[in-house]
Amino acid sequence: MADPARDALGAAAAVPEPPPAAASPPEAAAAEAAGDGEVREAGGGSELKAEVADGEVRSAEGEAADAEEPGLQAGAARKVKLELKERKEKKQKVDEDEIQKMQILVSSFSEEQLNRYEMYRRSAFPKAAIKRLIQSITGTSVSQNVVIAMSGISKVFVGEVVEEALDVCEKWGELPPLQPKHMREAVRRLKARGQIPNSKYKKIIFH
Amino acid sequence: MADEEEDVPFEEDAEDAGGGLDGGQGRRKRLFSKELRCMMYGFGDDQNPYTESVDILEDLVIEFITEMTHKAMSIGRQGRVQVEDIVFLIRKDPRKFARVKDLLTMNEELKRARKAFDEANYGS
Repeated sequence: MADPARDALGAAAAVPEPPPAAASPPEAAAAEAAGDGEVREAGGGSELKAEVADGEVRSAEGEAADAEEPGLQAGAARKVKLELKERKEKKQKVDEDEIQKMQILVSSFSEEQLNRYEMYRRSAFPKAAIKRLIQSITGTSVSQNVVIAMSGISKVFVGEVVEEALDVCEKWGELPPLQPKHMREAVRRLKARGQIPNSKYKKIIFH
Repeated sequence: MADEEEDVPFEEDAEDAGGGLDGGQGRRKRLFSKELRCMMYGFGDDQNPYTESVDILEDLVIEFITEMTHKAMSIGRQGRVQVEDIVFLIRKDPRKFARVKDLLTMNEELKRARKAFDEANYGS
């Protein structure tokens, strides 16, 4: 694949879809370097990130240990510190493995699969429209994080509906493109599973 | 504002009645048509999804956002929508919960990186 845009997408395959704007690789690397030890699955696997993260974890734990009573507590605190550090290192190793596997997978995609993957990663709801919609419902202004969170879960919601509709379509022995009847059946099934919020009808728990 | 509130239940009836039957009144302009098409293709649909399916999805998304917003307004700090409320509402759904956590963490990282980058530039 000699397409530079595709390579960038493959390199960023480990990092989950960036919220504010598409992150170019240098920006993603910088983000990893500045990340603190609290990052769980944000991916990245550069040694720079691991060093910085470990340094911050160590200093944070050192302060916490000093705050406790010295003597008996110091030994236990040191052990906890070591355990935490080991766990974070293991988690980072697992992240690195996952990133490598993703890179291998993406590099073996066909042209059509790459197109679809690119659309999957890049598509997003426009922040302005979502913000306008939420503000028209609340009547007050909302913070940027709320818009980011809402856009994110809306995209997951769309994914759930589309995947269920594709299951329905396949089960009925038909082919995509999805038709409204598939979508409606998918919605009916998701509602039965409680995955679609519906606060219009009063729930009778005991009767 | 009151107009928008009445629009939402009206839109859902229109969805079942089929597009275009009700004419001009209360027909909100399609907000997400282009983005939804790309999203549907990304999630497995055909490269050119049917317009009616896209419309149904848009109505679903708007209803979803409306429900979440109303619920978030009723818990925590009343009348306001805050991130903690959204996270609380999502807690039972593992996919959405993980996604929100990831997005917010990455946003913090990127903000920190940008700030460090700007400070480095400012210093030099």
